[in-house]
Formats: sequence, structure tokens, C-alpha cells
Amino acid sequence: MTFDEIQSRAIAEWEALADSEKPRVLVGAATCGRSAGALAVLEAINAELAKHGIDAIVTQVGCLGLCYAEPLVDIIKQGQPRICYSSVAPEIAPQLVEDYIVNGNPRPDLALGTIGDGGVDGIPRLFDLPMLKPQVRIVLRNCGHIDPENINHYIANGGYIGLTKALKMSPEEVIAEIKKSGLRGRGGAGFPTGLKWEFCRKSPGREKYLICNADEGDPGAFMDRSVLEGDPHSVLEGMLIAAYAIGATQGYVYCRAEYPLALERLDIALRRMAEYGLLGQNILGSGFNFDIKIKEGAGAFVCGEETALMASIEGRRGMPRPRPPFPAQSGLWGKPTNINNVETLANIPVIMDKGADWYSSYGTEGSKGTKTFALAGKAKRTGLIEVPMGMTLRQVIYDIGGGVVDDKRFKAVQTGGPSGGCLPAELLDLPIDYEVLTKAGSIMGSGGMIVADEDTCIVDLAKFFLSFTQAESCGKCPPCRVGAKQMLDVLEGITRGEGQPGDIERLLGLAETVRDGSLCALGGTAPNPVLTTIRYFRDEYEAHIKRKHCPAVVCKELVIAPCRHTCPAGIDVPRYVRFIGEGKFAEALAVIRERIPFPSICGHVCIHPCETKCRRAQLDEAIAIRALKRFAAEQGGQFWRSGTTVAPPSHKRVAIVGSGPAGLTAAYYLAELGHTVTVFEALREPGGMMRAGIPEYRLPRAVIDREIEEIADFGVEIRTNVSIGSADELFEQGFDAVFLAIGAHRGIKLGIEGEDSPRVMDCISFLKNVNLGNGVEVGGRVGIIGGGNSAIDASRSALRLGAKEVTIIYRRTRAEMPASEEEIEEALHEGVQIQFLTAPIKIKEDGVLSLECIRMKLGAVDASGRQRPEPIEGSEFSLDFDTVIAAIGQRPDVPPQMGVEVNRGNVIRVDPDTLATDREGVFAGGDAVSGPASIIEAIAAGRQAAISIDKYLGGNGIIDEVLAPPEEEMALPEVEEEERHRIQMPCLSLGERAKSFAEVELGFDEEMAIEEAKRCLRCDLELR
Amino acid sequence: MDAITVTVDGMEVGVRRGATVLEAIEKAGVYIPTLCHHPDLVPFGACRLCIVEIEQMRGFPPACATPAADGMVVHTNSPQLQELRRNILELILSEHPHSCLICPRREDCAPFRTSMRKMAVSTGCLYCPQNGRCELQKVADYIGIKEVNLTYTYKEFPIQREPFFDRDYNLCILCGRCVRICQEVRGAGAISFTYRGNQAMIGTAFNRPLQDAGCQFCAACVDACPTAALMERAHRWAGPPQHEVATVCPYCGTGCQIKLEVKDDRILRVNPGRDGAVNQGQLCVKGRFGLDFVHDSGRLTSPLIKKDGEFVPASWEEALALIATRLADYKGEQFAAISSAKCTNEENYLIQKFARAVMGSNNIDHCARLCHAPTIAALDMAFGSSAMTNSIGEIRDAACILAIGTNTTESHPVIGLEVKRAVRNGAKLVVVNPRYLELCRLAHLWLRHRPGTDVALLMGLARVIVEQGLANKTFVEERCENFDAFGQSLNNFDLDWVAQVTGVPAFDIVEAARIYATVHPASIVYAMGLTQHSHGVDNVLAAANLAMLTGNVGQPSSGVNPLSGQNNVQGACDVGCLPDFYPGYQAVANARARKKFEAAWECALPQEPGLTLSEIFDAALAGRIKALYLVGENPVLSDPDAKHVAEALKSLEFLVVQDIFLTETAQLAHVVLPAATFAEKDGTFTNTERRVQRVRQAIKPIGNSRPDWWITCQIAKRLGGNGFDFDHPSRVMDEVASLTPTYRGISYRRLEKGGLQWPCTGKRHPGTSFLHGEKFARGKGHFTPLEYKPSLEQPDGDFPLLLTTGRSLYQFHTGTMTRKVPGLNILRGEELVEINPNDAEALGILEGERVQLMSRRGKVMAKAKVTEDSPPGVVFMTFHFAESATNLLTNPALDPVAKTPELKVCAVRLEKAS
Repeated sequence: MTFDEIQSRAIAEWEALADSEKPRVLVGAATCGRSAGALAVLEAINAELAKHGIDAIVTQVGCLGLCYAEPLVDIIKQGQPRICYSSVAPEIAPQLVEDYIVNGNPRPDLALGTIGDGGVDGIPRLFDLPMLKPQVRIVLRNCGHIDPENINHYIANGGYIGLTKALKMSPEEVIAEIKKSGLRGRGGAGFPTGLKWEFCRKSPGREKYLICNADEGDPGAFMDRSVLEGDPHSVLEGMLIAAYAIGATQGYVYCRAEYPLALERLDIALRRMAEYGLLGQNILGSGFNFDIKIKEGAGAFVCGEETALMASIEGRRGMPRPRPPFPAQSGLWGKPTNINNVETLANIPVIMDKGADWYSSYGTEGSKGTKTFALAGKAKRTGLIEVPMGMTLRQVIYDIGGGVVDDKRFKAVQTGGPSGGCLPAELLDLPIDYEVLTKAGSIMGSGGMIVADEDTCIVDLAKFFLSFTQAESCGKCPPCRVGAKQMLDVLEGITRGEGQPGDIERLLGLAETVRDGSLCALGGTAPNPVLTTIRYFRDEYEAHIKRKHCPAVVCKELVIAPCRHTCPAGIDVPRYVRFIGEGKFAEALAVIRERIPFPSICGHVCIHPCETKCRRAQLDEAIAIRALKRFAAEQGGQFWRSGTTVAPPSHKRVAIVGSGPAGLTAAYYLAELGHTVTVFEALREPGGMMRAGIPEYRLPRAVIDREIEEIADFGVEIRTNVSIGSADELFEQGFDAVFLAIGAHRGIKLGIEGEDSPRVMDCISFLKNVNLGNGVEVGGRVGIIGGGNSAIDASRSALRLGAKEVTIIYRRTRAEMPASEEEIEEALHEGVQIQFLTAPIKIKEDGVLSLECIRMKLGAVDASGRQRPEPIEGSEFSLDFDTVIAAIGQRPDVPPQMGVEVNRGNVIRVDPDTLATDREGVFAGGDAVSGPASIIEAIAAGRQAAISIDKYLGGNGIIDEVLAPPEEEMALPEVEEEERHRIQMPCLSLGERAKSFAEVELGFDEEMAIEEAKRCLRCDLELR
Repeated sequence: MDAITVTVDGMEVGVRRGATVLEAIEKAGVYIPTLCHHPDLVPFGACRLCIVEIEQMRGFPPACATPAADGMVVHTNSPQLQELRRNILELILSEHPHSCLICPRREDCAPFRTSMRKMAVSTGCLYCPQNGRCELQKVADYIGIKEVNLTYTYKEFPIQREPFFDRDYNLCILCGRCVRICQEVRGAGAISFTYRGNQAMIGTAFNRPLQDAGCQFCAACVDACPTAALMERAHRWAGPPQHEVATVCPYCGTGCQIKLEVKDDRILRVNPGRDGAVNQGQLCVKGRFGLDFVHDSGRLTSPLIKKDGEFVPASWEEALALIATRLADYKGEQFAAISSAKCTNEENYLIQKFARAVMGSNNIDHCARLCHAPTIAALDMAFGSSAMTNSIGEIRDAACILAIGTNTTESHPVIGLEVKRAVRNGAKLVVVNPRYLELCRLAHLWLRHRPGTDVALLMGLARVIVEQGLANKTFVEERCENFDAFGQSLNNFDLDWVAQVTGVPAFDIVEAARIYATVHPASIVYAMGLTQHSHGVDNVLAAANLAMLTGNVGQPSSGVNPLSGQNNVQGACDVGCLPDFYPGYQAVANARARKKFEAAWECALPQEPGLTLSEIFDAALAGRIKALYLVGENPVLSDPDAKHVAEALKSLEFLVVQDIFLTETAQLAHVVLPAATFAEKDGTFTNTERRVQRVRQAIKPIGNSRPDWWITCQIAKRLGGNGFDFDHPSRVMDEVASLTPTYRGISYRRLEKGGLQWPCTGKRHPGTSFLHGEKFARGKGHFTPLEYKPSLEQPDGDFPLLLTTGRSLYQFHTGTMTRKVPGLNILRGEELVEINPNDAEALGILEGERVQLMSRRGKVMAKAKVTEDSPPGVVFMTFHFAESATNLLTNPALDPVAKTPELKVCAVRLEKAS
């Protein structure tokens, strides 16, 4: 048969299929589909069709790439477009048959999209969907569309035309065409394919080999598998063309044995090719002879390396050997050999068919065409994608991948598998390009792309990849075999909390030895994940090493319990929760008191990072830790005092500037250590932001007064209404050390026209005036600009001051709002309105205050991992207010005379470990250093300051106290499987709240507290 | 030679094209550290220590694996390189005990230790057996490493004890030399890299002991190991040797050079060296580990005289006087001497000279009669010279090898390496053998013929070659004679008939013929499987015919190559220990030759050729021979129909046995003389490829033993012999050279520089690597018409099985030497009768059961090994074990020309032992 005859027969078969009166069902039954249950679905469909006596054509097809939506079932009825249904469970499949095939209801509720001409009401066009629209599918052209076991389907869709064209050209012309296309090796290294062919072609020798490298071994990568399963002929045709070009007579597909379906389909494909004269002697009558064998690999990652792969085919242990000689000179069995990756080869037929110019119209200057990626990890829409080179990582992850699961913060993306690098959010706008990625410290690799979110520990991630490459080292050369293990040991030490100063340098040194000293690319690239994570996330390493802290709360040796680990002050949460559960409230308070001097305040208003990572939340809801703390503080009495001690006087004097949580915490511990402490407060009452910033309905004044008094009881002198202008005056007064805890009290200006009006206030001044009782009037309509907790506080205060309409204007959406979720909830509950995706442009005062705004849309993600708001042209509008409050942040007000160095944002620059400023004897902490943060973080800073100052004054810096009795040994409790939601905090009714600053939250009673405490899973016991 | 120039650290050096950068660096006299590099192995590039910087090249290429190019500029010691090397070495040392390597006090303690070294950081000083030989020490010194800043891991592998050596992978640095030498050089592949990542280690499949993994205990791995990971036990605490003596292995005819490491007059170990002409650093298990017999407590240390049936120690004077007195009565044909293929050329020369010149008897023979007498006869007839036509080293370049009647890899393991190398180089190997051998695994084609049908098969091949027009007509016409008669005789070897007689399928015969005739150069290699037949001469003639027919004689890597089984069987023949030949194959029957020797030895010589070995025993039994001087042989075990031999010896009036042990034969003697081993004397051996090599004294003779040459001279002088006043074997060699044309150019002075292959006809003659180059030694190659003669004893109803015999790798001959080596006894400690599963099942015999074998001549007991290696109807035994003396069974029927017995075929019956 001539090719024309083969082709017309194939086209006839394909067209008959398209025109068939029978309904057709396509089931995505590649490995990904099967693992999602596609075969059960297939069975259910067949059963249902039989039940209805419908003669339908049911075909297993490859993967469309929408792995997250598997199992996929497509139904085509004559005259209708093909409808693609996603996540089809075996129970749903019969309904589809009945509803659509039998009764003609296309079930738009279950459909993902349509393919082909025409449309169906209520169903979008599949390839217009955001995950498919940006894609250009060359390699994946047939996947999911044709029956991979039917060669006619392939031929009818343009298959083997590339081969027939190539056979009419000279091998040199074929090579020239591929060179011109700019195609580079898709296996990872990106060597120009045409050039590689040319080397092999020019290498002397009668026998030459062509190998298709299908030894895909990266964790999280499945590009090659999908192509082999969905469209094996595209690869095999590519092999024929390559073989013709280089003059090879024997080919091998080296495919790992873990890909049984791919192997099966390759085998079927080869047999069909042989039947059509597309394999063996005198292919298509051209005189060209070529045969292909399948060689199963045993799943060694190193066998992806060319020389190791060849050793494996030869029956030897897969170990790389030095080059030269290059495979093109002396490869398999010493003969010139060319090795190309699956994806590279799958590109070849199309290039030969459509031409190099067409192909090179895609991509960047240096990287032409498209690249497939296996998008995996924490992306919303994982799967197999194909995009033109030059697309940015952001487009891939956000447009195609839909962003991060659960809208968590994006942290990093690992490209190139375990040999690649880990790139941070700042680099999301890098275009996909071999050189660009390499420059960033990563590699293109074969196309694994793993998205990591905020819950991913970066050290752990590096450890994961390195443990893979380390374990897959062939063991031949010491840098890789021993060096990678040494690096892994260091990483394991770090994640176990045994990190030592110098570990990062040790890692960098070892990485250099491994990279420069290894024989093959496995070792040469193995340090990449470590090098890039150190390069981009060094602070996370340092947190592990210096503070034994895992910011993502992952490293289980560090994280005894997530609540305790996330608490900046390190309160032993599970222990006091247990005491409460046992009714031992005094002991519970003592546990809290071991770490903080403000249990009640924190119990009222702490931002409770502890609750965010509570393991109970994975079951139902987090434990109400803050509420329990408040309960303990209220019911715990004075038992804790019996354990406190005050050291004999040291005769050292410490001045603390600022009486907020940082200043008073430091004062408390320094006083206990025997130092003479004086706290200077500029306002008329102590407490800093606790008093000035937090409204009374959240934190009653009496609570503040009581806890400050308790600190004073330890001998701390608090002088109010005293402004300190410079450190010198304090040293002149005979103080030995100074702690600047001056907070961040200066509001940040909006920077828009008209904000100087007296009816435009900054939030901190507003709250201060309200909270200190200075008398403020706001009028009926209040607009508040900003999305933080201050904005919420201002809004709820304004309501209580009599405002009728309070509107918060925020430029992003609720998901990005930094204010705590429960505060937002309360504000909305109380009637506050929020205008999301809105930004102010200017303020006009014309009787009323007119706030001119513009609507925003979310664009690219910025360094904070959030999508950046961008104005929508022409969407301007105005809002009228009586008062506008700017709540877009504060910064510290550091007098220049203080003589300490400041950073951007006017925050004081300190050594992060000691809080020492650049001035001898002067320390700083709290918001003055961090910028506006939380009480609990300020307390943590106060503790750190006390330690450093005590050491500075000659002490040992030990402030830890044992106030609570030890716990009895207890067995690990049974995990409660049953869902039990947290106890709701009793609150004032809405009516009672209006016009009153009475406390909204009423606190738990004893029964509630014990019940809530008993919800704790006690994961600290499990992990201890 | 095509030379290129490379600049190494500023020095220009010229190297051959194709050399590596490392070779250039070495040539420049610059040292750089290497651990995985080994000159016999393909570059591996693993240890990463020989990294260099090469201008215009990226990264740090390893010098060992990078080809040198013309104009290349190489830097070996930039600070960056040294830093990287130091870091890599640190990584290696983080898994290898290293205190000793970096200890600041090691210089101070060096004088006080023999082999003291710190083994581990935590365990302090211990002994390391490899001190002074460890290559890691040298590398650590070069790099100057002072501390290792990495976490140290002791892997806690259990030490694996193997016969002869230990495997302690805690000391392994994974350089892979052992794995590669086992694979690339030995072709054994017993060990491999196992596991991946940091778990990677060297090991056998499924971690089985080496014995189960196909290891042959050649210790190439041990010799290649740069550390003490592979360490032989024998000398592990003995420290470095005082001196080293290069000599020749005393086992088979390959002639491997060995270096004896000596301390306090004891052999510490055998070092294979790398400069042996034949073995180039390779040995087999016997050469490497089989020398324990030298210091064995059972050595004869004093002359013994049998008095009233008991041996009584005697002084040399007493023993020699007694011998002189008694032998004086048996001059002439009543006397016979049997010399030894284990003794030196000089000693053999003296023994035949003593027999002929002093005792007036040509009854002088030795064990060549049992092995290569047919070779001597047949090759002399066909070519005019009776030795291996080519050199061992040429085998590797052969394009075709026809291995017939040889279990090369077991009986001549180092020659086996050449065969393996040839196969690796693409040679076609055709194996003709009834048994499945290791060679068969390597073979392109294996012809499993019935034992004893070699002539039929070889003639069958010849007929196919002639019929298919594949014969080399030019060669046949120009260089040979008598082709027509030979061609006529081929008519009887119709292919179907040959296939039927031999049991080899016709198409295999055709294929073998086609390969042998068309793939040049082709070499025939054979051993006892061809010669130990009642038609052994015909067998060899058939091989010679085949070679001439295809023109495969007279050029490198071709020819007809008999492999001799004893270290000096070639030499013993060369120097005249044959009843019909004087030294240099000068025929006794030739009057001119006789005159020459009468003149030289100043005596009258008997005119008639003497009796052959088997005839001597027959004559003894018949009373025609009354006195026998037997040196270094154990015919009671080694000769066929052993019972008959023992009876013959017992019937002698006077038997003198000279040996190193009180062998089964010596026990029958009247006087026993204690001889020195090869390690205790000077001399020369001539190996199977005609290479005369020096044997050098390494230690003093044990006890009161004496070198054989000294003893023979003493006896001869006491019997009034002239010309036995030698003070050193070199003088003897001078005499040999003066009387033997093929040895004329050989002297000890020349041999100091290495062996010489005869013919070496003058002081400047370089020796001859292959024979018959221009023309055959006899002028024209002579074709011999042949007919097929079945073996003389065929299986029948009473004795339904066919017994064939051979050797084991792990034992040698009658076990006199090897059975003194405990490790060899572990590897092969008893006789195993190999029997095909079909036969075993029919007889109800299970693997490992004791069986009794009977022939018409005797019976023995042994253990059964049920294996398909043996074809149906055939059983196989060795002859190494006195307690299962196989030669009680074998057939003494002789080849009519060579008088060699039919050891390879006899009929036996097998029964379960009761």
C-alpha cells in the first residue's frame, strides 16, 4: 500500500466516525484518569448503555491535560459539539447517559466545556476556559482526541505526513530544517536538536543507533508518560524522521517499567506501524530501513543520563561515564548514537509537516516553540499543559493553574524537578526560557513544575528534593554519593532543630564541591534546590537554625505543637488548655504566665496565630485558644505569683521608653532580674497601643489597668507624660541601658489631593482620641480607607460614636484583607459596609466630603504573594462622607536626636538576634522595629530585649520561669473522629452594642471553657 | 608513531595520539592523585581526584578519562583545583577511617610501628593491614589534608570472610577497580556495584558469598584495591616484605610471572606484579594463593632410607652412598629414570644426561607421555616442530578461536583471559567439547560431540571447507604437500555420517567450518581433550590438517596451539627427557646426533631409543627394569590403571624417589630424597609458548632439602659420571645452549631482562613469537590422510557410562601441592562425579550422594554432582584426590605412536554407595 492509500483509508475511517449516527463516548483513560477511577466510570457507562440498548461508540483516549478534573468523559451526539464532563464519578456516569444520550439534556451543571463547532446553552467552550486558552498544543495535539491504539486516527489527523515529506528530502535537508526550527532538547539540557543530529550524522560508522529517552523519573513529572499514552505515534514518527536524518538503522525506546500502559501502547503502535510498512525494511518504498525495540528500564533516575541509559540498554548497571567520547561518536555498543527525549521527538513530525518557520514563530529568541509542563503541587488546576516558550511563570501558575489552592499565599515554584531550582514570588514574571531559568539558578528540566504555598517549609522542600537525588545517585563518584548525603545530613539537622551557626556556609561549600566535582549532571545539578532556596529564602533557613523556628510549621521535630510553635512568645498552649480541661484554672494561668505578663489582654485581643495552624482545624475548627486564655486569666487567681522570684538588686538602671506591650514586658522581666527599671510614657496613661489603639468594646480599660499594676508590683516605675527626645539624656540621668519601645504612632498619609481637610483624619489619631476619651465627632457618614485591623476598629468605633453609615474602602478583595477574619465578620455584622476593589483618587470638600474613587481589578501577584490591584480605566465614581479616616498604616516616630540608625519606613535598625541598635547600650523592639504588628509579637520582642539587656548588664539573660506544676505523665488520648465545632463566644446583642463601648465578647463560663478545652487533640503528646 | 604535544604545568611533553591527559601528566613527571585509575582498566572517571584544568575547556575534566589533544594546555595544581580536590578527599575520608591519614604525629610513630594506623576517629590507633601499601595514604599526603570537617560515618558493615581474603567494606571507597577488573579483565563479573545513593556498595548478587557468585578467587580485585577493603588474610599482620623475588609460577604451563614477597626467609604472599610477559599482572587462584605447600609441615626435610619396611631418616652422605652402590648394579637397560615436568630445564637436562651418559640407558621419560606426546609426534610430522606455533599474547588478536579439548578458563585460567579478551574484541569462538564449560557461555558456537569422535568432527569440518571452496588453495599449493592423499581420505567423512557419529547437528558443523575458514586469523587451541586418546596423534594431525587447509599457520594469532598442563613440560621435552630424543629433539636414532652428544659428554651412548613411561612400568612388572630413579612425579595417582602402576613400582629391586613430599609413589621407594621447591632454587622453566623464563631462589631450602640439580649431580658423580661439576644452574644452561640449536642464544644473562621464546638461535636472536613464518620447520607442511577410529573401550551393558577426566580450577594434578592449601580445599575439597540429571534419575542418584564407580580395572568412591554440564551417558571426574583415585578406573590403552594412554575415555558403571 502506498501512503496515499493508507491515508485515504484512515481519513475515511475518521470521517465515518465523525459522521456517525451513533453517539460517541470518549473516556480519558490514561494513567492519570485511571487513578481517578476512569475504568470504573467506563464500566458504568457501558452498563448503562447496555441497559438502554444504545449502540454507542465508546473509546478510551489519552489525557487532555486536565488532570485535576479527572475522570473526564466526553459525549458526542450527531450534529452536536462534543461536551466534556469533568470529575465524573461512577455514580454520575449513568445519569449522563440517561440524561443526555437518552433524554437529550446536556446537563450543563456537570459539563466543563464544549469542543468543536456550535455551542450548547449554559456550557462554555472548553478551549476558551482560562486553563486552556493560553495554551498552544503542538506536542499534545492529539492527546485526548484520538484513540491512541488506532493508527488510523493518528494518520487521519495528519500523522506520518511529516515522515513522507522528510523521506522526499535528503537527510541533510531534514537536519537543516530542524536546525532552522530552533528546536532544543526537551529532556532538560536544551541542546539544539538539529546540531545533535548533525554530529551523529557526520560521525563515521555504518551502524548507528537512535534512542528515545522515555525514562521520565522526576517526582511530579508525567509529560512523557502522557504523550506515550495519548499519542504514541507522534513519538515514533519523530523517531523515524530522526533515524532517517542521522542514518540510524536501529532504534530503542527506553521507557521505565513503571509505565505499563505507555509500554503497552508503544507495543501496539509498533505492530501497527510494521503492518503499514512504516517500520522495518524499505519504509514506504523509500529504501530507508529502520526498526524500533522497546527497552524497559528499572526506574533509576540516573538512567535519564545518556551514558547511563546506554549502559542500561547494554545490560549493565546504569552508571554514567565520562564524556568524551560523546554518544554521537561512540554510544550504544560503541556505535554513533543519538538520544532524544519523548517530547523533542513528538515535535518533529509537526515541524516537518508545517515547517521550521511556523514552529519558530512560537517562543523567544533563544527558546523556540512550546514546552509541556506537569503542573503539580499546590496549584488549583493541576495537570499537563503546553505553553509557548516565553510565557511567564505567573501566567502558567495563575492563569492556567488558577493560583494556589485555598487561596493561600504562593511561596515558591520548583521548575525542572529535583535538579531544578526553587523560585520565589518575585521571579514569577520570568519568562519560560532555557537561559532565563538557568540564570535564576533553576533549569527548564523536562518540565516538572511544582507549586509550593505558605504551608510549605522551604528547608523541608530542599531536603525532599535532595533526598531524592541523593538516593538516586548511582554511587560512582564521591561528590555526589557522599557530598549530597552530607548536605542532606546538614538539612536534616536544620529541620530537626540541630542547626548550627555556619550550616548555611557549610551547605554552600558542599554544594560547590558536589556541583563542580561530580561526573554527570545528576550530581552537577543536585545542589540546585538547596542553592536556590538559600539564595531566595535564606531567612527561613536562619529561622530554623537560629531560632529553631519553622515558619511554615512543618518540621515536626521543631513543631511540638503548632499552636505553641506559632506563638511568638512560645506559650505552651496545649498544656494550659489541658489544665483548663481538668478544671485546674490556676495552673493554666501559671502556664501562660511563664511566657507573658499580659494573659488577660492577650486573652481579649491577641491575633492568635496559634489558632491559624491548629491541627483540630483540619478536622473541624480550631480550638478557641484565645478565649480559653481569657478564661484562665479571669479565673486563675494569684496562684502564679507564688512561683515568681525577684533577684537581689543588681544596682543597674534601665530606662524603657514607651509603656506598650514591648516596653512593659521588658520592664517586668528586667525587674524580676533585680534591675532598677523606669518606664517613660509620653501619653498620660501607660499601655501604649493596647490602650490608645484598641477600642474599649474589645479590651476593657480595667483589664489593662490590672495587668499593668501587676507589673508595677514587681518594682517597675512608670512615669507618664514624659517625652524622651534622646538617649543621651537618659544616660546622663545615670541609666545603664535603654530600651526603645516607642511603637508606631504616626499615621501614613494617603498621598492624594484633599487629604489635608480637618475632616480627614488618620486612623491612629482618631482611635487615640476615642480611646483616651478626648471627644471626637464623626458625623453621619464615615468613610474609612484601608483593610487592616485598625480600619475595622475605626469603623466599629465610628458606629458607636453615632455614625449612621460607615463604609470601608479597600482596594483588594476580602480574601486579601489583612484584618482578622473575625473582626471583619463582627464589623459587617454590626452594619459596616465594605467597598472592595476600590481605591481613592482624591478628596473634594464641597459642603460634603466627596471621595473620588476608582474600581480596581486584581492583576499580577506581588512580592507579598497577593495579587496586585490595578485600576480599571473609566470606572471612577464618587462617595460622599462627613468624615474620612485614612487607615492605611502607621510608622514609628523616631526622634532624630535619639541617635539610632533607622531603616526604610523609619523603623529602628537592630540586630535581629539581640535587638541591639547601632548605639552602645541602646536596644529597641516592638512596633518601633517591626512596624505595626501585634501585641503578642511586641511581648516576644520585650522578652528578647530583657534577655539581651540583662546580658549586656552582666547577667546570664535567663528569664524563663517555672510557675505551673509539672504535668503527670499521660497516655496519648484517642483521637476524636467526630466533628465537634468550637464553642461560640457569647456576645452582646447588636442592640446593646450600638452607641456603647461596652465589651462585646462576654467570655466563656466554666462549663464552656472545659468543654472547649477538651476538644484539643493534644498533638504535642503525639509528637513529643 | 603519531605524536601530539601537550603542555602540562608549562612543560611540553609529546605523547601518542589517543593518550589520555593523565598519561601526558605522568610523562611530564608530574604527580596528581588518582584512586579509581588502573592501567589495565578502561578510564572510569569516578574518584574525581585527577581533575585538572584545561584551557578552553569547561569545568574540571578528569585527566584519566580525557583524551589528550594536540596543543592542549593543562594545569594540574591551581589553588582552585587543590581546594576542590581537598574537599572531595574530605568527602571520601568522611566514610573511611582516617585518623592515621591526618594524624599530626604519624611521622613520629612511623619508626616504631610495622603497620600501625588509626582506624577510626573514635577508636584511636588500631592496626590496618594495608599500611605502607594504602593508596589513600599517598593521596592524603599529596593533598596535605590536616583535618576532616565533616561528620564521620563508620558504616558498620560486617566483615565478610572468604577463602584467602576478607571483604571489609567499611574501608571501601567505591573506586570500582575490583568490579571493573573482575568484569573487564577477568570476565567473571562476580561482583558489582549494588544499591543506589549513599547506600551504594560493592557486593555480589543478593549478597551471597563470593563462592556462590561465580568468583574464581584470582584476587585481581584484591590486587586492584587501593585500600584494605579487600585484604588477604595470610599476611595481614606481617607488615611489608624485606625483599621481593621475581620468578615463575610452579603450576600450569602458562608461565605466569610471580613476585614472591619474602620476610625472614618465609614467603609472605605472591604479588602478581605487572611486568609478566604472559600474565601482565593476572594470576589464577593457584598461582596467587597456592604456595602454602612450600612451608607445609609435611615437607620432606631429610633423606629417608627404608629399613624393614619403615623409613628411617638418613644423612645425605649415607643416602647418596647407598644409591650409588645400588645403582651401580643396574647400569644399562635395567635402569630407567623418570624426570619431572615440575623441575627446571637444567634439572631435567641433568637427569637425562645422568640416565644416558652415566647409567647408559635411554629409558628416560616423564609425564609429557601422559599429555603432549601426541602433540610432539603429530606436529613434528605435520610441521616439523612440536610446540605451540604461536604466543599466548597473540590469542587476544585472533578473529576466530577454535577451542577443542580444552577447558581453558579452568585449566589455563590466564590463557583463558586471552580468549575472553578476544571474544570481547569481537572474535568468534567455536568450542568443541562434550562438557558445558565456561567457554561455552562465551562461544559463538558450541559443538557438543561425543567423547572420542574428534577425528570425525575435524575431518568433517575439513570436508565442508573443501566442498564449499573455502580452502586456502594458494597456501595449500605453495606451502604444503600430500594434499591429494588427504583429500581422498575426506571422502569417508560425509556430513550426515559425521553428524551421526559425533552427535553434532550437521548445520552446526557447516557453520563452524564456515567460520573457521573465513574469519582470519583463526587459531586452534587445544589441550588434553585432544591428546589423551588411543588416537591422540590422529586428533592432533586432524587439527594440523585443518589449519594448513585454511592457511592458518605461520602468521600471528593463528596456528595450532597445544596448551601444556605442567609448568615445565615443554622444557623437560626440549632438554631431552624423552626416550627417543636428545635435547632439542635431536633423535637418538640419528647417528650424527648421537656422535655429537657422545663427544660432548665424553662417553658412549646406547643406540636404541628407550622405553616410554607406560612401557617402563610394564617392563618393571615384567622384570626387565629393576631400578628406577623417579624425580617429582606421582604416577600412582597420575597414570592410568594406577593399580597396575603401583604393582610395577613394588616389583622393582631399587626405587629412588626424589620429591618435596612423601607422595603415594614415594612411599613405595627404597630411598627418598628431599628436594627443594621452585622457590628455593635457581633455574629456568619453558612455558607452553616456548618461553624460557628464569626461576629465582627466594628462600633457603627448607630443612635438609636440596635442589634437584644438586642431588642428581651428587648421584652422578658418585657413580663416576663426568661433567656434573656444576656450581650453579646457569652453567648447566650454558651446556644446554651449546648442544641445543633452538636454545643456542639463551643464557642467564639475557634472561635477566625477561624470557626468550625459542627458537633463539644466537646471542642476538630476539626469540620467536610464532613458528613457520616463511616456511615450515620441516620445509613443507605435510597433510596426513586420516580415518576415524573409535575409542578402544566403549560403554556396554556392564559398564554403560563413559568416563572422561579433566581438571578443576582449584586443584592441581594429584593434589601434592594444592591440597596443602586450606583455602583451595574449601573451594574444592573432594572429588565430585559430574553426572547428567537424566542418568542420575535413572540410577536414583541425588545431588551430593556418595556413589561408587567401577571400571574393568578398579573402583572408587566419590560424591555425585548432578549437572547438565555433563552430557547424557557421560560422567566426569578430575584426578586430584587420592581418596577417589580416578586413575584406578582409566584405560591404559595407548596411542600406537605416542604411547599416550586413553585417559579421556573409558567405560564405567555407577552405583549408589551402600
